[in-house]
Amino acid sequence: MAIDPLSASKAYSNAANAARQIMDGAGAPGLAGGSPVQGPSFGDVLNQAIGGVVSTGKKADNAIANAAIGKGDLVDVVTAISAAEMSLETVVAVRDQAISAYQEIMRMPI
Amino acid sequence: MADLESASAIAASGLRVQAARMRIISENMANADSTAVEAGGDPYRRRSLAFKSYVDKELGGEAVKVFGTRSDPTPFKVKFDPANPGAAPDGFVKLPNVDPMIELVDMREAQRAYEANLNMIESTRSMRRSTLELLRR
Repeated sequence: MAIDPLSASKAYSNAANAARQIMDGAGAPGLAGGSPVQGPSFGDVLNQAIGGVVSTGKKADNAIANAAIGKGDLVDVVTAISAAEMSLETVVAVRDQAISAYQEIMRMPI
Repeated sequence: MADLESASAIAASGLRVQAARMRIISENMANADSTAVEAGGDPYRRRSLAFKSYVDKELGGEAVKVFGTRSDPTPFKVKFDPANPGAAPDGFVKLPNVDPMIELVDMREAQRAYEANLNMIESTRSMRRSTLELLRR
């Protein structure tokens, strides 16, 4: 893959910030006039999730390296790899869902 | 750790103990004919191992580990074989108390238990995957 996940997540968080600035600038009168939603932005959430993927990936790498020098256990290698695979799949599924929601909004006729 | 993750990690601990059991069984099988090294001495003594459950805080459940190994106290059989270097002065040599048939059955049992734990991991993984599939439609 040519795109590295960290840069992708940074791009998402930049996009989220830009969107928030636009909303604040326009005053967003149509949005029920309530206070803006508090909590982590989507970019933060994605960043955290990808951090988790990177750390499970590192664990898998360590297990493989140990097995290669004859120290590790095959069971450890397999479980570490499958944990890394599952967490990556989770993040990818969430990202796909978010992007498809975004595209749905972009297709909306104004 | 979420339940499904800890389920597969606990099944992995089952895989590890069955692998240890396989190692002990193969030691017994390989040494089924190992007689004493000095004249009149004792031959290889069969070993067996026990498992015990323990609470693993990180896994969030009761995993299994090897409790310890123990030598089998059953008496040795003797055979008249004066040419054997381990034979006593009267010409009898002690043979290991390993019964290949028992080891074979034990090996099958370890194999089945290993497969059961593998199936556990497999099913857990397919449950997680099908849950994720919900997002994809």
